[in-house]
Amino acid sequence: MHNTWLIIKREYLERVRTKSFLVLTLLAPAIMTALMVLPAKLATMGEKVQHIVVVTSTPQFGETVRRELLSPSLAEDKDDDENASQSTAAKPSHENEYVIDVDSNPTEAERASLRDKVNSQAIDGYLWLSDDAIATGKITFASRSVANSGERSRLSEELSGIIQRERLAKNGVSGEQADLLLKPIKVEAIRVEQGRETKGGSGKKFLEVVIMVMLIYVAVLFYGISVMRSVLEEKNSRVMEVLLSSATSTELMIGKIFGVGAVGLTQIVVWVLMAGAFALPSLAISVDLSELAVPPAVPVAFAAFFLLGFLLYSTLYAAIGAITTTEQEGQQLQFIIVIPLVLSVFMLSSVVKTPDAPLVAWLSMFPFFAPVLMYARIVLQTPPAWQIALSLILLIATIAGLLVLCARIYRVGVLIYGKRPNLPEILKWLKYAKT
Amino acid sequence: MVSSASKSNAAAVNTVELASVRKCYDEFVAVDDLSFRIKPAAIYGLLGPNGAGKTSTLRMIIGIIVPDSGQVLTLGEPLSRSQTRHFGYLPEERGLYKKMKVLTHLVFLGQLKGLTSSEASKRVHYWCERLELADKIDKKVEELSKGMQQKVQFIGAILHDPELIVMDEPFSGLDPASAMSMKDALLELAKKGKTILLSTHRMDQAERLCQSICLINRGRAVLQGDLDEIKANYGQCSVQIKYDGDASFLRETRLVQSFNDYGNYVEVRLAPGADTQELLRLASSRARLDRFEVMQPSLEEIFIEAVKKPHA
Repeated sequence: MHNTWLIIKREYLERVRTKSFLVLTLLAPAIMTALMVLPAKLATMGEKVQHIVVVTSTPQFGETVRRELLSPSLAEDKDDDENASQSTAAKPSHENEYVIDVDSNPTEAERASLRDKVNSQAIDGYLWLSDDAIATGKITFASRSVANSGERSRLSEELSGIIQRERLAKNGVSGEQADLLLKPIKVEAIRVEQGRETKGGSGKKFLEVVIMVMLIYVAVLFYGISVMRSVLEEKNSRVMEVLLSSATSTELMIGKIFGVGAVGLTQIVVWVLMAGAFALPSLAISVDLSELAVPPAVPVAFAAFFLLGFLLYSTLYAAIGAITTTEQEGQQLQFIIVIPLVLSVFMLSSVVKTPDAPLVAWLSMFPFFAPVLMYARIVLQTPPAWQIALSLILLIATIAGLLVLCARIYRVGVLIYGKRPNLPEILKWLKYAKT
Repeated sequence: MVSSASKSNAAAVNTVELASVRKCYDEFVAVDDLSFRIKPAAIYGLLGPNGAGKTSTLRMIIGIIVPDSGQVLTLGEPLSRSQTRHFGYLPEERGLYKKMKVLTHLVFLGQLKGLTSSEASKRVHYWCERLELADKIDKKVEELSKGMQQKVQFIGAILHDPELIVMDEPFSGLDPASAMSMKDALLELAKKGKTILLSTHRMDQAERLCQSICLINRGRAVLQGDLDEIKANYGQCSVQIKYDGDASFLRETRLVQSFNDYGNYVEVRLAPGADTQELLRLASSRARLDRFEVMQPSLEEIFIEAVKKPHA
């Protein structure tokens, strides 16, 4: 224990004290922020006021369309669960985005002249609402660019509301009745967990799972490789032999994995804190924090499965470091690690669809998939306790087994240097080290 | 022909005792049926050409590798974890963490052997002062020359004041001054009662430092025991004669196997069983002698002779 602790401490301090660690820890969030903020800034910079002409035979109807388009949109008005986090207090108005004229002369000649105006950039587009178009429901919006699908879907949403109302009015349905008829139907997803009901849409749940997957993925690929590198460094610098005269190879292995792992965790924690410090003020304004509250089991599961998953894959990386002699060789073997990760991402969609199917349940207990799949199941629907327990036990057992295996390969591998061993040789090494 | 003389002091617990140790790597037999004992407070030399099995033997003694058969006892017991604290090891393949500072690195090694950090630091300062590394103590290992790195590693091996110090080719790659200061340190440790086991393929070094040796070739012991006894028992000695007059008698007598005339003196190799006194009488009767000296065979001669012999 004493030795393991010393080795962990050395690995940790030697890494954290380097300049590159400091630079990366501080600079990465800056780069990330720039990457996220810049495109958004660029996108809003491109937006200018759109000048649109609404063409319809009845000026009164044209006015209604104009008013509705300038007022807050229907979708934002009807606040459904998925967008719960987008505030209900401040509805964005579209008054600054559009200049809308009404033209009550839907003739072919007018259409041609409007077309010319669009072409000469005098206006940005026109909305063709002839009686015929209203009757058939086939409305044309002409503009120079057809790329903005968001705008088109907003238009069709707004217009269908207006036209439906118009049609109802023509059939003698009053405004109030029309409101009632057109009231959207909303299905709210409520999760029953231990007899309590928790609000929370599947979209948000899915997001939680995806965040986990991303974190595991990034952490494993980013820090796992440094475990491998550190094993290789030790082999190549031949420090090993001195260390082996004081400590066992298992102690060295555990020390490496935990030491380098702790460096990774430190970095992640720093980043999360930084992100929190920046994001919280803006979040607090727009989001009712109670909406974000998740059942307490989820953060615990997150921590457990993230840490164990990270450990498991780091151990695999250490094993690769133990059987290879150069970093290039090691990177060629990386697929061993990437494949189970990618597979679990592939299987994620079936887990989301049927979190309690027997096959899904078994797959989620398989150690190499558990960090992603079992966590996903916990988020979506509480699996039976024994399944969670079993997957945790299997994970820990696999990590321990791999560690011992790795330590053996390591011990023999470092003392007999040279070419990369093939499988029979590795098996023989394991036999050597046993005695 | 091997060790009849070295089994005298059986009462004291041997620091190291190897009994019929064998180690193979696949088909290759690295060490075969090797047995020897190292008495406490002695400097013991493990000699042999490159690839003779020296490093494998040392690794088995400190427990980095395990013998396929046979037994290794250190300090009278089979190897266990608690014993490793009494060992200091300088591997042939030197290796240190390049980016670490000398002081931090040595303290880390000391702590692994059970020293507290403050005690380790105190000892590092003492040894660095002694081996002229004091100004390098806050430098990174990679900034040091190879010889200095080797001194750092040497300090790492003895910092915890181990009972058994195992050094694999300790002087290779050192300049004479550094080799001298390391040799002095080793001698001092031996005087303090530490047992030192060193391997080398340089016979002249072993000859100067070691009290006892084990000569191995192709994994087997060819010669072992107390160095003086080995030389005495070796029998074939040579005589240097400085003379004035006629030396033709050397050709005639049966006492001489061969001789080499260097001009100033002749070096005479005696025939097996020949008596040096008889040769002295013969020589003094035939020529005027300035010098007549019986030379002990050098270890190198013994080694070459021993390796040449086919052994069972």
